[in-house]
Formats: sequence, structure tokens, C-alpha cells
Amino acid sequence: MSSNLEEFLVTHGSLGEQLPTSLSGERLFPIQLYDFPEERGFNHAWLVLDPKFPKGKAHIRLSKDAILRLPHVDSGGDLCITEDPGPRSKISAEDRINLLLNSFYLDYLGPWVSGKLDADFEVESLNYWYIHVAQHSNEKCAINRIYITTDRSNSSKTYTGSLLQPHRILLAGTNKDLANRFIELKSLGMPKSQVVNVAVAEIPIDCEFTPHTWPSSQSSLLNLIQYRLSLTQLKEFSTPKKRGRQVNQVVILRSPKCNYGFHLSGGSPIVVHRGGSSRAFKMAKMYPLTVERIDPSWTYGRDQISEITDRQKLHIVVFGAGALGSPVISQLAKAGIGRISVVDSDYLSPANIGRHELGARQIGRSKAGEIAHKVGEHNPSVKLFPYIQDAESWLNQHSLSKVDAVVDLTGEPDVREHIEQARKENLCPLIIGWMEPYVAAAHACLLPSDRFWFKSNVDQLGNLEAIDWPEDVIRHEPGCSTQFQSYTSAAAAHAVALVTEGVICLIDNKVSTPVIRSWVRGRKFLDAHYKGLHYRSWAEGSSKFDGVSMERSLHG
Amino acid sequence: MSNYSQLVASAKANRRKRVFSDEFLLFEQLNRERNDLSLWASELDVVNKHITIDQDTIDGAIESYQELAEHLVEKLHWSPDDIKVFPQGSSSTQTLINTPGRDNFDIDAVCQVDISRVDANDPMAFYQKIGDALDKYDPDAKRRCWTINFSGRKYYIEFTPSVPLSTVPRTVVESFKLQASAKDYEDTALAVVDTPSESWKTSNPEGFTNWVSAQTEKSLLRLSFSDSRNYSLNSSISPVPEQSISLSDTLRVAIRLFKRHRDMAVRRGFIVKEAKPISVIIVTLLTQCYEGLSDLGATYDEPIFLLMELAELLPGMIEIRDGEYWVANPTVEGENFAEKWNDDHGQRKQSFDNWCSLLVIDLQRIMKEQDESAIRKRMREVFGYSAASTPPPRGLAPQKPTIVPQPPAKTGLA
Repeated sequence: MSSNLEEFLVTHGSLGEQLPTSLSGERLFPIQLYDFPEERGFNHAWLVLDPKFPKGKAHIRLSKDAILRLPHVDSGGDLCITEDPGPRSKISAEDRINLLLNSFYLDYLGPWVSGKLDADFEVESLNYWYIHVAQHSNEKCAINRIYITTDRSNSSKTYTGSLLQPHRILLAGTNKDLANRFIELKSLGMPKSQVVNVAVAEIPIDCEFTPHTWPSSQSSLLNLIQYRLSLTQLKEFSTPKKRGRQVNQVVILRSPKCNYGFHLSGGSPIVVHRGGSSRAFKMAKMYPLTVERIDPSWTYGRDQISEITDRQKLHIVVFGAGALGSPVISQLAKAGIGRISVVDSDYLSPANIGRHELGARQIGRSKAGEIAHKVGEHNPSVKLFPYIQDAESWLNQHSLSKVDAVVDLTGEPDVREHIEQARKENLCPLIIGWMEPYVAAAHACLLPSDRFWFKSNVDQLGNLEAIDWPEDVIRHEPGCSTQFQSYTSAAAAHAVALVTEGVICLIDNKVSTPVIRSWVRGRKFLDAHYKGLHYRSWAEGSSKFDGVSMERSLHG
Repeated sequence: MSNYSQLVASAKANRRKRVFSDEFLLFEQLNRERNDLSLWASELDVVNKHITIDQDTIDGAIESYQELAEHLVEKLHWSPDDIKVFPQGSSSTQTLINTPGRDNFDIDAVCQVDISRVDANDPMAFYQKIGDALDKYDPDAKRRCWTINFSGRKYYIEFTPSVPLSTVPRTVVESFKLQASAKDYEDTALAVVDTPSESWKTSNPEGFTNWVSAQTEKSLLRLSFSDSRNYSLNSSISPVPEQSISLSDTLRVAIRLFKRHRDMAVRRGFIVKEAKPISVIIVTLLTQCYEGLSDLGATYDEPIFLLMELAELLPGMIEIRDGEYWVANPTVEGENFAEKWNDDHGQRKQSFDNWCSLLVIDLQRIMKEQDESAIRKRMREVFGYSAASTPPPRGLAPQKPTIVPQPPAKTGLA
């Protein structure tokens, strides 16, 4: 560090004498503070220089008493609202420090003292809650974290949650199916060795809490729940007993964007296992908890896709779990579909693994069974039903009366024929998806429930393709030939997206007339695979692009 | 003597028994002996100041309001004598308060036009004409008004198109079944457009303001505090009154503090936004209660004693008429501010009762505290404030930076 900078620091009017250098090598200089009103005051502020300063950065740190009292202060006391322009700013070290201090005084301290930053606590409410939780979290806490299976509702409710030992995880929410799926999957840090019942009160609130508004004591929380629970709920929650023993109680307050958990004092002792030993703890004091949502509206839609709630109620049948079908099934699960039946009689071969969702571990195993297992393992909110049989036999054994959409990804004319017959008996939306050789084009035909595939008993598929394929390009893929044209998994990903988005549009009732959506690659791509191919007239516009997506009406 | 004295007497008879502790009574006595009655009062004064919208914001809102008013006068091509724009609601009763957090506050305004200029038979055309005149401000159509938002400002303005009720032809009054104005407030009665029913409805914002203002003249305190500031109304565009209110203006202070408590009750999770008591109900019930107490000759040593009395009596001020909850608009015959309470399975009434109960409990807790910091802490929890002041202009880095770069992006918390 230059002697000029040292002199600047020593003689700076706003800085005090440097504190002894800490083990981390940071240099701390006390900053002069105002005489604050008592409510606004805090003990100290320091200019903190990184050990490598001026190559490193400088920042402001406030004393511990400022944490959760002043906004924009993180768990270590560091201020996040003011920032050193940094060594790449080409500003001198002295000016960087002055800018930082000026910003601290003018943009932070002044507005804070005059009350203008008070509302800032609301901006990152959850971060302050995490700090609060971290301050109270210790190994004696019987509950470490809460996962909740349901979205926020508009009314208060009380129910029993499951505390999973030894990991001290509380599964809350009223979607017991989903909770059980997580337990079966040994997710969330499980496996469990013991399940303890916990009484849960879940109460919706309208505003995000700040450190000044969240219940700071058990008495204030109990006061709140007396106002927000009905007498029946209050009785149910307040006096839960199991075999004469008091049950532990947790309150979850749910605002539109954040969830706040509280484990109340009292209840029966909870055994906490750690290492090889176990010890029972009875909660002497209420403590705050982190609540993390695992409901599909959050995990798959981040609360921004309202259709997910309805998609959870749907049952879709997918015929074909191959290179196109297997990733489509995975994507449909991630779109929030509630139930998927997978029908495929084939078994995974080594030649499949380059383009399939399954891999070497599943060679020789049924595609339907394995993809259902894999997708279900990754997505607890979908129930998958594998059928290791062909489409015809499945359709002979099952009706489409309770199916919300059929997805045919087999590319087989016979399957289309059988599905057509079944749909005539039970109207049901249909999506037919397929890829042309080399994935030079891919198509998804979307038919609402009352519209059929065959026109004058003619299968339309060949007429809808984008390219006139020469005879020597083998069309039967992959089941009927071992000589089909190869393509990469990446090229097929375009088709997967096209088909999946088509299915979602159709089941979300956004398609009222039959349409075909196509993805067509440009001339460059075609020439790289087979010289001299001809586009059909409707697809010619794709020639000059890398690839084009388009939608046409089906059946004229 | 007003009718409200009977209502207050009845509310007093029916209120819950006070639960003041012996310690509180002792403290009250001690305070009297020490003549030290300013602990609660000074803290209430801090709260009252804290919830006052700062003058910069008010000035900005006034500027926007004036601009809109002038724009309307100019754009509608009506004679300035025929059009009158004036504030209504909390901005006119001087009970406008700072909302906790980042929510915006509203300034309600009335655009009153002489009936001879509009077709009284077509209220929707009149409503639309005002909306069209405000077109450049991109107004949102609401039930009875046009809302104009100002990007980056902490307020929005709601303009309600209206005509003087007295100028509406009798045939129109009958065809729209317009309610009569209360006799004492006939001069200020208006007809406003109710867009869902596409009809005229009676309203009387100026009369309502006058009624509240008349009650504020009455003092229920034995000791006087510093005088409140006065304001005056004039011309065809009436200014937004100053919103700074002295502690001695006890009715307005009570309205402001109770509204703030209601807002904080939502923030604290005790009541939900959808069912929270609306401001006009709080203002009406408080003003009625205040008027009734005045008629009965009630006086109080401390503002907080009066607040406690009002809080305890509020639930008893709700009338039951023909089995329905009623909070009557004193300026329009037959208008019930609590109409929705009778059609929501009791949700709003329950919310009102819960809020009143919480208010009483919170005030009791404040009154039970015996030292300054404890009182302040309770006040802060209940009203959501902390003392703020202007920082002294010292302590800035003495060396002015030679280069002022663009400020770095704020990263917020890690």
C-alpha cells in the first residue's frame, strides 16, 4: 500500500485510528458517527479494507446491534447498499474510499436517520428472516427446517405434520400424497428412522413481515393466532395430546411471497440424534424456522404459471417412450402434469442410449418401466404408470374415458388407427408427434377432443411432412429397421420442445381448432446430411434460416 | 344534543368491563401527583408526526392534483364557474396518513360540474367524458371514479365526476331513485356516477368533511396542547389542506392513529386486507362517538385516555336496523357504509370486532408500561414507527472526490 494512501487513512477526518489487524487480514477503521436519536443509534461503523486493498475492495461494516435493526445489513454486519467502485474502476484508492464514505453518509445514514429507509425492510423480507432464523438455530432445536407440500390458501387451517427423524425435518401441508412421495424417495435429507406427529397451525397473512412486525415473542404469536383461528381450530391446535402427552406445536404464517415458521415452547421432549448418541430436548423457548415450499405451483411454476394447479388434476397417456417420448415424458412431468401413463413394449438396447433419457444402467430393461421410475424419482408431484405392452393391447384393456389427453409418439400408422377408434368411443384430445429423418423437420399435430386424425379414411402424416424424401432414405425408425438415419440428441431436443409445448397448449385449452406445429431445418443443415433434398412448397421459407418454427391449420 | 349521545350512552353500558390493573391505576395516580402527564402524550405526538406525510410528498401530490384540475377545466371547455374541483376523503378531513411500508396513499378529488352542462339522463356519458378529458394521464376506470397513477410517486389521485344534487331534475331523481341528502347538508349534496349500475348515486363528500370538521372544534381534553394550524378553502380549485395536525386536535389525531393501527394490524397479520375496516367507517364511527361524548360533557386528562374510551366504545356504535349492521352516512339519507357487512358471512364484522379488541388491548399495554423506553417500545410495535430526525450536516468525508463515477449497481443483501 502506498505511503500516500497510508497518510490519507491516518489523516482522514471521518476515520479513527485503525484497529489491530484481524486474523483475516482485514483492516478496520472506525467511522465517525452522528449523535443519533436513541431509536436510530448503533454502536460502531467501520471502514473495512480487504487485505489486498487497493487491489481488493473496501466496504462498510456496522456493529452487531445494527443487524435486523437497520436495513441492508447482512448477517455479519456488512452493509450491502453502499459499494466501493473497485480496482477496475480506474479511480484512485483515496477517491474510492471517499466515494464509499460519502455514499454511506448521504445515501444510507442520512436517509436511515430521517426514516426514509424504514420501508426497505420489505424489499428483501426473506433475507432478514433467514438472518433471524440463523441467530436462533442451534443443535438443540428439535426442528431444523420445514418443507410444506401445499400452496398458501386464503383461510387458516390446523392439521398434523410429520417430523422426520433423525434429520429434524418437518413435512407440513395437507397434501399427504406428496409428502409420502418425498418420504418414499428418501428426499430432503432423509431416510427417516422415526416419524413424530406435530400440531401445525397454518395462517395466511397479507404482508411480508419485517424485523419490526414479525411476532417477537411467544405471547405475541399466541395473541395473533387467537385472532386468526376459529374456536374449533384453536382448541384443536392448543390441546393436542397423544396418549396423554402434549404434542409439539408449530405455527406457519404465510404471506403471498414468504413463509415464516415458529416452533412453540413446550410439548413433549423430542429426541435429537447426533452422531452415535441421542438426547431428548424439551423446547423451553419459541424459535423461528425456515419454511421451504415443495408444492408443484412453486417447484414447477415459481407461482407464475397458474395452470399448474389444474394440470395436477390431469391424466395423460403417452404412447412411445423412445428418443422422442422419453424426454417428452420428463418435460411433461416438469410442466406439472399430475398423472402420466407410459405405454411401450420395447426394451432399451445399446443403440438407444445416445438419444434416450435412459442410459447404460437400464440396457435390457423395459423403456416404459424405467422411464416411469426415473421421471417419478425426480418429480414427486407426478404419478407415473408404466405399461410394458403395445398400444393396441393397452387400448383393448383400457378406456379413454378418464384420460385427459393422448400423446402418440410412436410414428406407427397402426397405432394412429387404434387411437382413432378409441377416441371415437371416448372423445379425448390427441397430440401426434414425429420427427423426419435426421430431424430435418419435426411435427406436432394438436387435435381437440372432437376432431379426428383421419380425413376420408386417409392417414395424413406423410402429406404433412416438410421434405420429399428419396427412396434410399429409410423411413421406418427405429423399431422396424436397424438401418434408420441417425440423428443427434441435440437435434431431437428441438422436436422434444415442439411436442411438449404443443401438449401443454392443448391441455391448457388454448387450442380450439386442429393445428400442426412444425420445426423445419434450413438448407445448410439438410445439405450437411443429404445433398439435393427438396422442400415441399409450404416449408421452402425455412431454407435460408438455421431452423424455423411455424403453425398451420390442420385439415384445411 | 345529537342522536349520537344516546348511541354513546348505550355503547358505554354495553362495553366490556375495563381490565386496568391496580398497577396502572397506581401509575396514573403517581403521574398526576408528579404532574408528569406527558409521557404517553409525547410519544403519541411522535407517532402522530411520524405518520404525517412529509411535506415534499404532499407538495408533489398537490402539484399533481392542481395540474389535473387545471387540465380538466381547460380540456372540458366548460366555464370555470361551472366546474369545481375539490379534495374529498381523508385529504380534506386532514386525516391523510403515511401508509406503512411501500404502499401508496390516495388523494380523493371531486370534479363537480353544473348540471346544465351535462345530460342528466346519461350518467355514463358524463363519466366517460371526464375520463376522456384525463386521457393523457392514462386513467383507470373504477366504480365511481377515475384513478391516476404517477410513476415513482408515493400517491395516486382518484377523480370522482359529479353534479350538484340540487340541480338534477326531479324526473331524473325519481328515475334513478336517488337518495335524499340529510337536511343539514343539502347545499353540498352531489350525484355521482355508479358505473356498475350505470346510474346516479347520492354523495356528499363536502358535507361529510364539514361534519367532521365541526366536531373537531369541540375539545374533550382538560389540558390544552399546542394549537393546530388552520387552513382555508377558496376558489373553484380548492387546495389540498395541510396534513400536519397538532395533538390537541384530538378527533383528527384519533382518526389518524386508529387508521394507522388498522394498517399495522394488517401488517402484523391480525386482520386481512380484504376484510379490514374501511377508513370511512372508522371516521364515521369515531366522529359520531366523539360528538356523543361531547354532548354528554365527557372530558379527559390525557389524549390516551380519550383514545382508550373511543376504542372501547367503537363496537357499540354499530347500529342494527331491521337485523342488518348499519353505519349511517350522516350526510346522505339511507346510505349505509357497512352495507357489505351484511353480505359476507360476517367476515367484515368479525374483522372489525377483532381490530377493536386488538386496539383496546394494545392501548392497555401501552398504558400499563411504566417507563419511557418501555412505552416507546410498545408504541413502536403497535403503530410501527421509530423516532426519526434530520441528521446534522457533519461527518462527511472532508476530501471531495475528484472523480464521480456512475454509482455501482445496488446488490442488496447477500
